[in-house]
Amino acid sequence: MKLPDYFLADLPAEATLTSSIISEACLTLKRNRERFLAGRSTQSLIQSLSQVGASWLDPDYPLRKLALEQGPAATGFSRATLATGLDSFFRQLTPQSFQALLEQDLGHARRLDEVVALDTEQQGGRAAMALGPSFLVHIAAGNLPNPTLMSMVLGLLVRSAQFVKCASGTSFLPRLFAHSIHQAEPKLGACLEVAEWKGGNRDLEQVLFEEADCVTATGSDETLADVRQRLPARTRFLGYGHRLSFAYVSSEVLGGGRGASVAASAAADVAAWDQQGCLSPHVIYVEQGGRMAPEQFADLLARELAARESVEPRGELSASAAAAIASRRSIYELRAAHSPDTRLWCSPGSTAWTVVYEADPRFQISCLNRFIYVKPVTSLAAALESADSVRTRVSTVGVAVPDARTKETFATLARWGVPRVCPLGQMQNPPLTWRHDGRPALGELVTWADYENGVAENLSI
Amino acid sequence: MSQRDPFFKLGEQVREFFSGDAAANPFEDLALEMFALQFHHNAPYRRYCEAVGRTPATVTDWRQVPAVPASGFKEFDFSCIPASRRSAVFCSSGTTRATASRHHHCAESLALYEASVRAGFERHFRPPFDCVLILTPPPSQAPHSSLVHMFETIGRAFSRRQAVWAGRMGPGGVWEVDARLAGQQLETAAAAGGAVLVLGTALTHLDLITALEAQGMHFKLPPGSLALETGGYKGRTRNPSKTEFYRQLSDCLGIPQTSIVGEYGMCELSSQAYDVRPAVPAFAPATEAGIGERRFTFPPWGRARIVSPETGEEVGDGRTGLVRVYDLANVYSVMAVQTEDLAVRRGDGFELLGRAAGAERRGCSLLAA
Repeated sequence: MKLPDYFLADLPAEATLTSSIISEACLTLKRNRERFLAGRSTQSLIQSLSQVGASWLDPDYPLRKLALEQGPAATGFSRATLATGLDSFFRQLTPQSFQALLEQDLGHARRLDEVVALDTEQQGGRAAMALGPSFLVHIAAGNLPNPTLMSMVLGLLVRSAQFVKCASGTSFLPRLFAHSIHQAEPKLGACLEVAEWKGGNRDLEQVLFEEADCVTATGSDETLADVRQRLPARTRFLGYGHRLSFAYVSSEVLGGGRGASVAASAAADVAAWDQQGCLSPHVIYVEQGGRMAPEQFADLLARELAARESVEPRGELSASAAAAIASRRSIYELRAAHSPDTRLWCSPGSTAWTVVYEADPRFQISCLNRFIYVKPVTSLAAALESADSVRTRVSTVGVAVPDARTKETFATLARWGVPRVCPLGQMQNPPLTWRHDGRPALGELVTWADYENGVAENLSI
Repeated sequence: MSQRDPFFKLGEQVREFFSGDAAANPFEDLALEMFALQFHHNAPYRRYCEAVGRTPATVTDWRQVPAVPASGFKEFDFSCIPASRRSAVFCSSGTTRATASRHHHCAESLALYEASVRAGFERHFRPPFDCVLILTPPPSQAPHSSLVHMFETIGRAFSRRQAVWAGRMGPGGVWEVDARLAGQQLETAAAAGGAVLVLGTALTHLDLITALEAQGMHFKLPPGSLALETGGYKGRTRNPSKTEFYRQLSDCLGIPQTSIVGEYGMCELSSQAYDVRPAVPAFAPATEAGIGERRFTFPPWGRARIVSPETGEEVGDGRTGLVRVYDLANVYSVMAVQTEDLAVRRGDGFELLGRAAGAERRGCSLLAA
C-alpha cells in the first residue's frame, strides 16, 4: 500500500525541508482551518473522530494493517504490542468519552460551540465560551504514539490547525493516523501537517514558533526548557516532561490463589509498549506479611512475562539497549550468587524480559524494555519512603489492593504527589479524560471568553 | 613466593608468551589451568561460577570460562591474593571511593602487570624514545590509577632520558595538564631531533592542544614520534569527534595521524589493546581520515571476544556486541572479564563504539542519566 504524499512526513527520506517549505505549510494550514475547521460543530467533530477510531479497531482497516505490517520495522515494537497499544487508544475515541471529557474539562459539551452558562454561572449573570488556539504546534518526542495521537485528537476537537513535528524516526504512526483522518474527511486532514526532523533544527523550528499560538512539547527537562526559551512571549507553552511510574501490591490480594492473576496484570503493564512509556512501571512494591512472599510473586511475574512473550513478543532492540540489559543482569546475577537478598529471572537466550527481586527497597530506575524490579515493603508508607528519590517525577501508580483499602490507598498516594492511581493492569490505558501529569489535557488547550451582562435570562444554555 | 607456588608457576608460563614463545603452552591450555586455579583461590569468583553452573569440572573450552562483569569489581574482591599480601590496588577512575572498581595486586602480580605492559608495547612500537612526556599526574599523586602505573612502566622502560610528568591532580581530583611545562619539553625535544612519545588520556591531550593553540604554539616533532591516547572524554560538554581530535592533535604536534595510537585498557585487566597491528606497520593510513579502519587487538596472551548481549554468543564479523576479555596476565585475580563496552567485531580485533550503559531513549519514560 503506497500512501499519497499528503504530508511532509510522506516525502522520501532524501527530501530536504527548508524554512520556506515550513512557512508555506503554516500558511496553508491556517487558511484551511478558516475554511474547513473553524466553523465545525463539536458534535460533527466528535462523530468524525469516533468513526476514525472505530475504523482503526477494524482488523481489515487498510491503515491498521499497514501499521501492523510495517510498524515493527518502523517503530521497534512487535506487531502484537502495537495491536494491543493501538487498540487501547482507539477504544477511547467514542462519543461518550468525548462527551465526558468536554464536561469534565470545560463544564459543558457545547462550550466550544457557543456561549454557555452553567447554573452557577447563570446565577452570577455570567456565561463563557472556550476557544482553541488557531494554530497549534506539537513538538513530539519518542516513538510511543499515544501521546502524539492524543494531542492530535484534542487539537482537532478545539478546531486548531496543527503542525506535528516528530523526532527523527518516529513519525510513522502519527503519519498513518493523519492519513486516516484525511481519508475519512479530506478537509479535516488538510488542517493537519506531520513532519519529522532531528530536534534542534533552529531554522525550521523558528518558523513554527513564530507562527504558533500555542506549542505543546514532550521530552526531557532540557528539551522543554530549550523549546520554551525559543518561543515568543505571546505564545502559550504546554510542556510534558519525562515521568516514571511504579506499582503497589498489597498482601491481601495475593492470597487464595489469586497471585497468578495479579501477576498477569502486572505483566500486562510491564509489556505494554515494551515499558517505554512514562506510565510503565519501573518497580513493583509487594507488601510483606501475607500468604505469598514478595519473592514468590516475582517468580509468578516471571512466568507471566514468559507467557506474554510467546503471544506478544518484545520488539527487537538496538545493540546498546540490549547491552544495557545484559550488563545490568550480570551484576544482579553476581549479587544473587552471593546473597538470597537478590534473585534474578531472565528470558533464556535473549533479553526479552527480566525480573529482579531485591530485598533492598530503594527505588531503582529500570533500563526498561521489560526489565522490572520487585521489592518487598512492610506497608504503602514504606514503599513511598523508598521511592522518595523520584517523588516529584511520578506519573502513575498501579495498585492491587482490596476494595476496603482503595480509598485510603488513593488518598495516601494523592497526598504524596501521585497524579494518577489506577488498577494494576491498566497503567498504560488511561481514559480520554485522563489529566496528563495532573493537568486537564483539553482544559489546558483552550482560552476562555467570559461574558458578563448581569441579565441571566438573556443567556442561552 | 616459592617456585612451587601454582600462581608463580602459571605466571612464568604466561611470561613465555611475552617473549613470543607460545608454542609450549597454548593459550587454550593455560586459560583452563588458570580458571581452575582461580576457581579454587578466589571465593567470590567461585560462588559466581557455581551459580552459573560452570566449574572446572564442567568447562572444557576456554570460551566457556565464566566472565565476571567488570562492575562486579566494585562490590567484590575478585582476588586470589590473601588480604595480608596485597600491596597495591588499582581503582577505576584512579580513586578509592566506594563506587570504584578495585583490582588488588601483590609484588608478583604487579611484576607480571609491568612485564605485560612492556611486552605489549614493544610488539607495536619501536622503543626506545629519546624522551617520554606524560600528561597525567605522577604515581605519587595517583597511586591507584592503573593507567598512571602503566605510563610510568612505559616511561621507565622506554625513555632514554627520564620521563617527564606534565600532569597534576587538580581540585576535586580532576587531572590537569601543565601546558607550559609540556610546551617547553616539546620544544626542546623537537629541537633535539630524537623521537618523542607523548602519553595521555584523550582529555589531557585535548587540554594540552587547547592551551598550546591559545598561545599559537605548534610543533614539528621528529620522525618516529608517537602520541598515545586512551579513554573517552566523558563529562565534557563540548567535544570534537574522534576524527577532529586526531586532526587537531596531529596538527599541534606535527606528527601524522597514523602516529597517534589509541589504547584500550581498564583497571580490572593487566594487558592492553592498541588500535594498530604489529604486522601492518601501523603507520600506513588506512583511510583518508587516517583512523576509520583502525581496530583494537590484544597481544597473544589476551583475547577479546565480542559477544551478543542477547545470547551471550560470539557475534559474526562486522556485528556489534559487548567486549569480553580473557587476559592471561590476570593470573592473581580473574582472567575472564565482561566489560560494558560495545564494539564491532573486525576479524580478531574490534572497533570500539563506547560504553553501553546509557541505552538510547525510545519512549517518554524517565531513564537513569
